[in-house]
Amino acid sequence: MVRWCGLSLLSFTLSALADSFANTAIVRSIELGGSLVQVTTTFAAKALEANSKVYTVALSDAEKQTSSWLEARVKGQAKQLQIVDRGADSNGVHLLDISLPQPLALNASINIVLETIQTHATHPWPERASQQDPQGLKYKADLLVLSPYHTAVQRTKIRAPSPSIHSYTTPENVGDFTLDAPVTKSGATVTYGPYNNVAASANEQFVSKHQQPVFVHYDYEYPVLQVPKLKRAAEISHWGANLNIQDDIHLRNAGPALKGHFSRLEHQSQTFYKRSAPHVIPGLTLHLPAGIRNTYFYDLNGNVSTSRLRTAPSVPKEAQTSQYSLLELKPRYPIMGGWNYTFTLGWDSPLADSASVDKATGKYIVQVPVWTPIPASVVNEAEVKIILPEGATDVEFATPFPVVSSSLSTHTTYLDTIGRPAITLHFKDLTERHAQPIFVTYNVPLSAHLKKPIAVAVAFFSVFAFALVTRRIDLRIHKN
Amino acid sequence: MPTAFPLPSDLSPATVTNTASLLRIVALSLISGAAIASRLFAVINFESIIHEFDPWFNYRATRVLASKGFYEFWNWFDPTAWYPLGRVVGGTVYPGLMATSGVIYNFLHALNLPVDIRNICVMLAPGFSALTAWATYMFTKELKDESAGLLAAAFIGIVPGYISRSVAGSYDNEAIAIFLLMFTFFCWIKALKLGSALFGTLAAVFYFYMVAAWGGYVFITNMIPLHGLVLILMGRFSSRLYVAYSSWYAIGTLSSMQVPFVGFQPVSTSEHMAALGVFGLLQIVAFTQLVRSHVSSKQFQDLLFLALVTVGLLGFVGVVGLTYKGVIAPWTGRFYSLWDTGYAKKHIPIIASVSEHQPTAWPSFFMDLQFLIFLFPAGVVLCFHQLRDEHVFVIIYAAMASYFAGVMVRLMLTLTPVVCVASAVAFSSLLDTYLDAAEPAEAADDASETASASGSNSGSKKAKKATASAATPGSALGDIVAAATPAKKGEKVKGIFGLDTRLAIIVNAFGMLAFFVFHCTWATANAYSSPSVVLASTNPDGSQHIIDDFREAYYWLRQNTPETAVVMSWWDYGYQIAGMADRPTLVDNNTWNNTHIATVGKAMSSSEEVAYPILRKHDVDYVLVIFGGLLGYSGDDINKFLWMVRIAQGVWPEEIQEPNYFTPQGEYRVDDKASTAMKNSLMYKMSYYRFAELFGGGQATDRVRQQQVPKIGPTLDYLDEAYTTENWIVRIYEVRKEDLLGRDLKSANAFAKGKKRKRSKPVSRRRAIVN
Repeated sequence: MVRWCGLSLLSFTLSALADSFANTAIVRSIELGGSLVQVTTTFAAKALEANSKVYTVALSDAEKQTSSWLEARVKGQAKQLQIVDRGADSNGVHLLDISLPQPLALNASINIVLETIQTHATHPWPERASQQDPQGLKYKADLLVLSPYHTAVQRTKIRAPSPSIHSYTTPENVGDFTLDAPVTKSGATVTYGPYNNVAASANEQFVSKHQQPVFVHYDYEYPVLQVPKLKRAAEISHWGANLNIQDDIHLRNAGPALKGHFSRLEHQSQTFYKRSAPHVIPGLTLHLPAGIRNTYFYDLNGNVSTSRLRTAPSVPKEAQTSQYSLLELKPRYPIMGGWNYTFTLGWDSPLADSASVDKATGKYIVQVPVWTPIPASVVNEAEVKIILPEGATDVEFATPFPVVSSSLSTHTTYLDTIGRPAITLHFKDLTERHAQPIFVTYNVPLSAHLKKPIAVAVAFFSVFAFALVTRRIDLRIHKN
Repeated sequence: MPTAFPLPSDLSPATVTNTASLLRIVALSLISGAAIASRLFAVINFESIIHEFDPWFNYRATRVLASKGFYEFWNWFDPTAWYPLGRVVGGTVYPGLMATSGVIYNFLHALNLPVDIRNICVMLAPGFSALTAWATYMFTKELKDESAGLLAAAFIGIVPGYISRSVAGSYDNEAIAIFLLMFTFFCWIKALKLGSALFGTLAAVFYFYMVAAWGGYVFITNMIPLHGLVLILMGRFSSRLYVAYSSWYAIGTLSSMQVPFVGFQPVSTSEHMAALGVFGLLQIVAFTQLVRSHVSSKQFQDLLFLALVTVGLLGFVGVVGLTYKGVIAPWTGRFYSLWDTGYAKKHIPIIASVSEHQPTAWPSFFMDLQFLIFLFPAGVVLCFHQLRDEHVFVIIYAAMASYFAGVMVRLMLTLTPVVCVASAVAFSSLLDTYLDAAEPAEAADDASETASASGSNSGSKKAKKATASAATPGSALGDIVAAATPAKKGEKVKGIFGLDTRLAIIVNAFGMLAFFVFHCTWATANAYSSPSVVLASTNPDGSQHIIDDFREAYYWLRQNTPETAVVMSWWDYGYQIAGMADRPTLVDNNTWNNTHIATVGKAMSSSEEVAYPILRKHDVDYVLVIFGGLLGYSGDDINKFLWMVRIAQGVWPEEIQEPNYFTPQGEYRVDDKASTAMKNSLMYKMSYYRFAELFGGGQATDRVRQQQVPKIGPTLDYLDEAYTTENWIVRIYEVRKEDLLGRDLKSANAFAKGKKRKRSKPVSRRRAIVN
């Protein structure tokens, strides 16, 4: 089918691929949200070659850009499959190789589930809304799921959070694939397809001929949260048995910008009648770790006294409990569409809850979460700085997913003599799924532990010695 | 020698000295601890935050100093203050406070102690109050003895009159100035006592620090010369005075001229002429003394005395003449207002509008000093009793400071140290007398018998009274004086007999001290520890409820307006807006330009049509008003409004007239009966815009003024409500830009609302916008 266009080397690989599998069905379901859109694509594939080990999926360039989280599983199994990104080809198609758990025999079939979370995939429409207006969002997707293999049937279900869908695109020129209505809507779901007999589509020719964008304009009843910048500093203290975490958060309401001006009167009456506008962030509810203490929430103007915290008792590191401390955080002002709010949130937690010692090597292992998720929000840029104890050596770290960049530096704070090693990691487009621990291992020799008491002792003794000497020196010119 | 109670006899003098020394150190450190701790109410009840208005500027300047370094701070031109004029901060500021914090900040950071600059600023005043206690101890020690010094230190450590200006977060010049004041005075007295150039120089150095830190340095500049002059007139001229004064004046004046804000003032303004005059007089007197020591002729001395008076008079006339010719700047308005309390109200309404420039109310003396105010005269009288040079100083200080404290509330601060010192002298004399175990040598038997008899016969309370009255013939003061002077021979022996007499007085005295501590704690906790940026109220369940509208509004400005947006508000909030919202302001608490302030006052007190061109000409983007009507916050702009009117009237008497803002009956009202000028004023409109709607058709009441606001509130055509805080305390309005179609905003607004345009009026309105 695609063999005749084999002009480039790439097409050879494609053609080679095209032989190995055929898709019996592809079902893509898209859960629309605010900042985050969850896309689950199920590929029912049949092996055309014996001993097929690698199944390849294709994403368009735009889709790859917005997909910040990507995982593949065999349907019904919990284990994640390894994904290797082949990078973009010249056609603007990304190919991802998924390694199958075991090689497939000829004509054997397998169901592969690809889950992605898209960020920055929606935008407010209309772009401005006044205080009483509802909040509309627009989502753009591609009509067809691309695949390097031939697909017997595929469909796309787009599920909005509420049945009030203002509009959706009716695709044209899909007569090749279906004779029925190309799109149907029932309740909150818009279904594109089924489209039958789709050729191997991960090539430019197919894309330019058949691919087309579809838009869904829907009502969203919750605020659209975005964190343009997050700076986390985690300071490990062995002397204090403490892990201090401090987040500098820039929060932004990415919903429609406020049209006109903010009227406190209207806001107060809306709050009073409990029909607050969907695009107002009156506050946040955060799940902080259990066992935290000395929690603080302040901004550039000082302490913000309008929040509540219910702490849960500390849980041991290995315990599988879902206990957490609940923070009801209320900013100084309700964050209307397009408004910003920067603040600092921090807490101390027992080091024992997140640290352990590797018995074999004697190294300390500390886990620091990449971030503490703000529900339904996306972090555009994150900087995580992990400050290790003074004198830590053999520092190694492992991140749950690739970093944008990382660097080592020295951080000097209270009672330090030579400063503490610090790891700085940069991430982008974090979602709730990214809230996983970073593991750091390091050695602290005894001499490094003793540095602080020695420094303090030396400082005090030098003061005493100074006093001792000055008492005994007579600087008078005339001895009386 | 008979004693009233047994004394240990087996102690060596060395042990006594060492123990006393140790006890003194322990007492001083405890006093320092108490001084710091009692200033922390604000931090514990609220948070580590900068208080009030001026401290916000100091804090902002300190941040510049800490982050950019001293030279950057020195040359700092702030384009965001007094928009569009700007302010040369480095040259118009007393840098001592910021420099102190900067030095502490850099020192701590050099030691790897990265303390936040805000915490240094917040804790600076309590820290320096501990130093003040120590300086007062040193000062009083020179006057009487160590025990009086410790009492004075304890008094100044917790006295509300000083705490009012030095709680944690009150990051103002006074925070360090009182320490410098006391320490300069101590160095001066020490220099005078010893005739020491070293201490004279030290006094000069601390005087320089004081000049760099607070405008009140003029108090020292005049106190020391006055002391010198009085000593000369008392015939107490000595080489010690000459050395001390000359070293202080020469070095102090030269160094004080290094502060850019002071510059050549020490040689060109009237406030500093007394110091120069006394310096000259001292030279002449010294010369006379020199001549007299060589020529011993009575007539020659008389001649010299005559010459001295002539030269002195000529000098005085010369200074007056120069002042009239303008070479020497005359007294400034603030100084005139010290002599004539009505002066400011007539000529400089801005000074009069500040509450801390009002004359002091009598109760506040008791509030700020409690029982010290009764002991203070006693202490001054005791100073007359000894009348060494340093006692003369305290007497002059007491007289001057008492007067100034009566004239201006804020000068209570300069009175407080001398009150503490004098009271400590009096109190410790009392304790010395009654704690001394020694009984009069020739005990008059009958006196002691009656005392003990009455003590045993009647009830304990009566006995105390009886013994007290028996032991105090005449007055308590006379008794102290009698006890301090040895009884003359032949007379009836006076003194204190028995233990009960002593106990009665001492229990009373300690009772007074205990009540003083209670009063200080209460006054500090309730009256002086509110940051005024954050307000507190109590929930029905007794928990504290924080009202944080100011920071809410400032933070909103900071986060959601363009960085160049100019904010207009009354000058009280200028520093806070610059510090917390980081936006340019038209006027602020550095009230140097009366016309600019009057412009804001005019804009606030005129109608929208008149105010709009003013706002546009000054590039104003947002207007901020404080409105307390919903919550009952009485320090709001409507209550300050008459000052805006008055200040505007001072510059534009034709356009703004104060009487127009009153009802014909002369009442200041905001309800239906409010005058037309009041109702049309921008301030009124911004305060009450949509306020009545909040009551949902019910009767809207302004809780500050207890008046019922009209149900149909004012409308705004030239401004838009941009933000109102949770409790409506701060309301921010955005100034509209000119209409794109060239209409004036009023008719554009009417068109947008679908109202029919009246034929006759728009023509004249259009003309108005052209102007």
